[in-house]
Formats: sequence, structure tokens, C-alpha cells
Amino acid sequence: MSGVRVEGLSKSYGSALALDDVTLTFSDGGFFGLLGPSGSGKTTLLRAIAGFVQADRGRIVIGEEPVERTPVEDRNIGMVFQNYALFPNMTVAENVAFGLEVRRVPVADRVRRVAEVLELVQLGALGGRRPSELSGGQRQRVAMARAIVTRPRVLLLDEPLSALDRALRVEMQIELKRIQREVGITTIFVTHDQEEALTLSDQIGILKDGRLVRHGTPRAVYDDPQDAFTARFLGEANILAGTVEAQGLRLPDGTLLPGVTASSIALRPEELGVSLQEPATPHRLQARLVQRIFSGATGTCVLDWQGQTLKLTAPDRDLGDLPETGGPMVWLSWAASAVLPLRDVSP
Amino acid sequence: MTPAERLRALGLLAPAYLWLTVAVFLPLSAMAFFSLLTDVPFGDREWAFTFGNYIEVLTNPTYATLLWKSLKLAFWVTLWCVILGFPCAYILARMIRGRSREALFLLVILPFWSNALVRVFSWAIVLRGNGVLDRAVNAVLPWEVDLNLMFSETAMVIGLVHSYLPYVILTTYLSLQAIDDAVIEAARSLGARFPRILWRLVLPLAMPGLIAGAVLVFVPVVGSFMEPRLLGGRVGTTYGTLIEDQFVAVFNWPLGAALSFILLAVVLLILAAASPALRKATP
Amino acid sequence: MIRHAAARAYLGLILIFLYAPIAVMAVMSLNASEFYALPFRFSTEWYERLFTNAEILAAAWRSVWIAVVVAVIATTLGTMATLALWRHDFPGKRILQALLFPPIAVPWLITGTAMLIFFFGVGIGRGTPAVIIGHVALALPYVIVTVFARMQSFDRALEEAARSLGARPLTVARKVILPHAAPGIIAGALFAFAVSFDQFVVSYFLAEPGDSTLPVLIYSAIRKGFTPEINAVSTIIIVVSMAVMILAARYAKFGGTR
Repeated sequence: MSGVRVEGLSKSYGSALALDDVTLTFSDGGFFGLLGPSGSGKTTLLRAIAGFVQADRGRIVIGEEPVERTPVEDRNIGMVFQNYALFPNMTVAENVAFGLEVRRVPVADRVRRVAEVLELVQLGALGGRRPSELSGGQRQRVAMARAIVTRPRVLLLDEPLSALDRALRVEMQIELKRIQREVGITTIFVTHDQEEALTLSDQIGILKDGRLVRHGTPRAVYDDPQDAFTARFLGEANILAGTVEAQGLRLPDGTLLPGVTASSIALRPEELGVSLQEPATPHRLQARLVQRIFSGATGTCVLDWQGQTLKLTAPDRDLGDLPETGGPMVWLSWAASAVLPLRDVSP
Repeated sequence: MTPAERLRALGLLAPAYLWLTVAVFLPLSAMAFFSLLTDVPFGDREWAFTFGNYIEVLTNPTYATLLWKSLKLAFWVTLWCVILGFPCAYILARMIRGRSREALFLLVILPFWSNALVRVFSWAIVLRGNGVLDRAVNAVLPWEVDLNLMFSETAMVIGLVHSYLPYVILTTYLSLQAIDDAVIEAARSLGARFPRILWRLVLPLAMPGLIAGAVLVFVPVVGSFMEPRLLGGRVGTTYGTLIEDQFVAVFNWPLGAALSFILLAVVLLILAAASPALRKATP
Repeated sequence: MIRHAAARAYLGLILIFLYAPIAVMAVMSLNASEFYALPFRFSTEWYERLFTNAEILAAAWRSVWIAVVVAVIATTLGTMATLALWRHDFPGKRILQALLFPPIAVPWLITGTAMLIFFFGVGIGRGTPAVIIGHVALALPYVIVTVFARMQSFDRALEEAARSLGARPLTVARKVILPHAAPGIIAGALFAFAVSFDQFVVSYFLAEPGDSTLPVLIYSAIRKGFTPEINAVSTIIIVVSMAVMILAARYAKFGGTR
């Protein structure tokens, strides 16, 4: 078990910059999520740490050891691939034992450790099956078992749950977290699903166009996105922009938000309240209700403000009698602490 | 399927399969029938049923020797095709990417799809005494060498390997290509180096293609006569040339049919034994 | 990287092995000397002689003509059969697909001699009709496999859309299915042509001694004794069959950019 650190990692393919000076520390024993849209470089970063991609510049340190020049085979990592990549010609037990075989672990120890790890992933009875006989969820667990049985220093997961359907995914998220806690290996995983990232990660890193835009604990990043991209990517956000004046932020419709020093801010839909009467707080806006959507326990209001679409979510009963087809002008309000100031992130 | 659809399907399938029946399946059955006759039932000839032909084939040591010779020839040709073909297929399937892979693959397969007779003939030109090969080798080596590989078993093997090598490369290539890249990466991530990956993953997964290729080389070579005749000369008598003789020289068609039938039995045995691998390898 | 250089070298050696004899033959066909005597002197004499050799010309023409007929018949029958095989799943489909193997898997020696026996028995005997019947049977599996492979990429939804718009089965076949199958059909036709044109073994047994196909003629000529014209005509054949196959491969690639 070791921590992992990348410093100034850069990689281009021709003229396309896949990784742009990425520096990040993955703490020992933590569960770290790399999140971003496709093309953001998150998979490239993962594969660079694994050793399948040679970075052009920068350092990769696992534990205390710089590994940029070390080939994959010698990095002692564990990796779980998107489609699991189980060896089709071997049984589950043989698949899992493969890494131990490579490390010349004596047969008796091999058998024991394979049995232990299969128990850990709750597949104890399936050692003799072939991958083609397993369900998606079972294959996922075999892939995990195979990766961790060798006690690697770091565990890398490439979109490990994206091939599973919704219900199974949620179940496996819990499993994954449990296994990681028990084994305690530094784990880095890549996903484009923000909900998954929030659920699983101790720490999160958000990448865009090859650059690390934001990192921190999920809560910290969610509560303080710091830039529009992150605000929108993790959770939903209404972005309001205006001019900064002495007393605060002046929005295009004249509203003054006191004490705000950023020229654009984000407001999360769940932090907004709606009413037909003008609220007392200065943190309020008037907008036209375009549509009210009923989604069971929650309801969503789609509003038009100065030509911009805003969204608000709240328990459905709090939305009272607002009409579903929209129409009336309503007041939105929020707490001063819900204002998330944003800065510019240069592309 | 609705009755109308069934009728339509039948109408679409019938012509082709009727043709195959008339041209292939009936003749093969006819051959079985023929092999049990004393003489051809055409014209005014006298003929009767007999097992004589089969008894002749099974008791006459010459025939057994020739069959054995053909089987040995097929074995060596297949072995060389596999040994030479696998690395080539591997390089094509896993070491080259993109457009050049397609072009190179086509380049390798192309000779296979051209006229077999002419290819064998071209080897005759190269291998004959004082031919191109002799001169080339003599140009390189300081001492006089008379290779004259022509009309030898070596010549037959070379010609046959040349003819069938692309086939093994093709079937093996298809199997190798189907291996998921991620599987190889997974093996590497677990610390495996090339030899182990080859032995534990690549070879087993390529096996269906290799076996399919081997069988589809072995079978025709056992029955070959054109290559042995052209490249083997007097040494080039095989079971195939024996059968050929019955039909073009000796005109003992019933015996020829019996010999053919026995060869067919051997071929079917081999195909049956390899059918699981064949099924996995063919799309 | 060392591995890669060795790999390149190995591939090169294999390609040399595969093409060298053909190249030698082609070069020698342009050599003035009758007996491969060097030095090499360029001459098109043997090719010119070819065009005055009535026997070779007749055989060449017969080979081409037969190959075209075979291609037409085999492609038609094969495409029809493929359309039925591709569309439906029915009991016995597996068997039908397996039945396509014998013409390819059984040595042509056996098939050829069996055909000879049978055709004589039913009165067809030897000659061009027998050759055509035999060639079509050999070419059918190739056509079916090729067209079938092409139909694997056909989106059923297109057919359903056409039917929902009111098209009858024949119209659907003509306007939706066949256009998609077209590259496969063309490739199949070219394969059929090549299979027939290059066919030696079956032709050898089924052709009338005076009216043989080109490969059979060449074979007898070689057995009798070598003349450089054989060299020339062989070079031509190889170039033709390779050209046909390159074309077929392009269509079998199904347009490449599609």
C-alpha cells in the first residue's frame, strides 16, 4: 500500500493535448475518483499511472519510487478494465491466480489466497466456472479479485461499473466501497458518472481538456465548485453573471446581491425557494414560470429569467398550486450562504 | 415462420441446394455405388457387384504405402505451414495497426487466391537444375553447388507449403484478431511478460484458428496429385496420383472410386475430429 | 523495439517466399532466351507467340467464357439462397449451412472424380456443360459466405420501415435489401469467377481432351515438355487472377468508407 503522486504530467497525441501539466496527490489507502466528460484526459491519466501510456513530461511516483520509466509489468499495480478483460480460456480461479503465478507464489499459497479473495468478493463457490458462464456483476467481482489478490500498491479502475445496468450498479458501488475499505489499497477510479463519483470517492478530481480543474473531498467540491464547469458537472447549477459594484453584485435585471464579490455565481436548484409574494431577503429574483414538472417526491420548476433558463428543485408539496404549464411571474429566493462564487477557468 | 414465408424461403433455397445435390452429393454417393462394381456400367460392358476393389485396396501393400506416404507428406506440409504461419499471423494481427495492416494482409493472402497450378509451375522454374535458385546460391557461395531440388520430396513440400501457407495465416489471423486488446493489457498489468502471455493466453485463444487452418491444409494435401507430379517427378507418386491414374490412364474407374472413397473416409474422420475447433474458428 | 524490427524482417521474408517464384516466372517470361540462359535480354517474343497459338487462345477464351457463365449462375443461386438463410431461423438451417462445407472441405480430387463418374452415368458425360455444372457447385459456397457476411451488417429496421410504409416484399427486396447486399454480391461474383477461372482439378477430370480450359492445357503442356509460351500465359493468368481478387477484396471490404 502506498500513496501515488503525479507531478506536471503532460501528454500529447500529435497536436491534441491529452494531459496538460497535471499535478495530483492520491493519499495512501484512499478511494480517489477521476471525473470528467469524454476527452477530458481522465482515462489517459489512469493509463499513464498504470504504464500503458508514456507521458511526455512529468513524474509519477508510487510510494517513494518514481515509475515513469518502469514498464507496466514491473509497476506492481492492479487494474480493473471497463469490460473486465477476463481471460476467456481460463476458469475464475485460474484468472484470479494468474498474477500469483507470475510472481511464482507456491501453489499451496496460491490456492489459499485465491480462495480468500473469492470469499472477500462473495464468489467463493464459483472458482470452477468460466467467464462466459458468469453474469456481468459476477465478472466484475472476478476482475476485482484478480486485481487485488497480488496485493498491489495501487488499484486502478477504468469505468468499472459502466457496463452494468442501473440496479446492479448501485449494488456494486456499495460492494466496491466495502472491499476497498477491507483491503485498504490506494484506489483510483475513472468515471463519467458524477453520482457514482460522489458515492464512492473519499477525494475527487475533476478534469477538463486534460487539465485538473478542481480537486478535494466530494462535499468540498460540491459546496465550493469555484468555477462554472465544475458547478455544472458535479450536481446542477444555475449560473448568474453580472457586474461587481461597491456594495455587491449587480445582476442584469437590476437586482443587487449584497456582499458578493465575484462577477458570476452559481445557485444550486435545491437551494432555491419559490413563492408568489416578494420575499424579504435581498437574495431574490423575479422570473417567469415556464413549466412545472412532477417527479413523485420532488418537483422541478423551469423558469425564464432574462432569456436564461433557470431550474429549481424542491419537495413537490412545497410548490403549492403552481400550474404545470407555467405562466405566472414568481419570486425565487435563497440563503446568502447558498451563493457559490465562481472564478474564471481559462480553457 | 408463416406458410407463405416458408414457401418463399424454400423457393430461394431450392435452386442452389438442388444444384449442390446434383453436382456434389449425388456424385459422392454414386462413387460409393461405383466402388462396388467390377466394371463401368456404360455401353455394353459386363458388370457385377463386388467387394473386390476394396479387398484389393486393403490387402495390396502398395496402396497402403502410398496412402501412408500421402499422410506423411500432408503432415510435414501442415507442420511447416503452422510453424511459418503462426508468427506471420501474429505479427499481422497484433503488431501492426491501421491501414497498412489491411494492405499487408491482402498482400499475404493474394497468392493463395491466384491460380494454384501456375504457382506450382513457378516453383518448377525456380527449383530446376541450373535454374534460378541454383544460380543465385552459386552466386553467393564460393564453391560450386548443384542443388537441383527439382523432382524431390523437398520440392513437393516447398511447393505445397507455398500453396497453402496463406490459408493457415488467414484462419490464425482471424482467431488472433478476435482477442480483446484489454485481455492482453490485463495480463501485462498483472506482471506477465511476452513469453507467458504467448503461452498462456495467445496460443490457447488462437488454437481454434490454428487447428482449422491445419485441417484445411492437411485434407487437400492428402489428396494432392498435381503438385507431386509437377515437382516430384518419379518421386512424386502419391495416393492422389494413384487415383488420378485410375481415371485418366488405366481407366479402372471402380478401383479409382474405391480408392477415392477410402480417402473420403479418412478425410471425414479428420474433419469430424476437428469439428469443434472448426466451428469455433469459422464465423 | 528490437522485436519490431525482427517482426518486420520476418514478414518481409514470408512475403519474399510467397512472391519470389511468381516474380521470377514473370521476369523469365520477358527473357529472350528459351532456356533461362542469362544474361537477361528483354523480349516480348513469347507473348507475341501466344497470340498466334490457336490452341492456347481457344483454351483461354473457353476459360474466361466458362468463368463468366459460372459467375452469373453461382451468384444468382447463391444470393437467393443467402437471402433465405439470412432472414429466417428455421429448423434445419444449421444443417443447410453445414452442407456448404463439402465442396470446399472435400479434396477436389474426390469431388472431381465423383462428378466424372456420376455425369457419365446420367449421360452428361464430359465437356463444357459438365465443367460448368462442376464449377458452379464449387463456387456456390464462396458466394453464399460472402453475401451472408455482408448481410450481417444490414439493419432490420430499414426493412421494417419500408414495410410500414406499405412496400410489398418484392419491392423491399429490390429497393432496400439488394442495394445493401450489392457489394457482397459483386465480391461473391468475382470470387466465383476466380474459383472457376483458376480451377484445375475438377476441370482436369471433366473437360473434353480437345476442348480443355486454360489451366488443364498448361498442365498437359508442362508434362509434355516446357515451352516459354507457357511462362508467358502463366504470367498473364496470375496477373489476371490477382487483379480479380484485389477487386473482389475491395468489394468484400464493402466499400471501405461505408
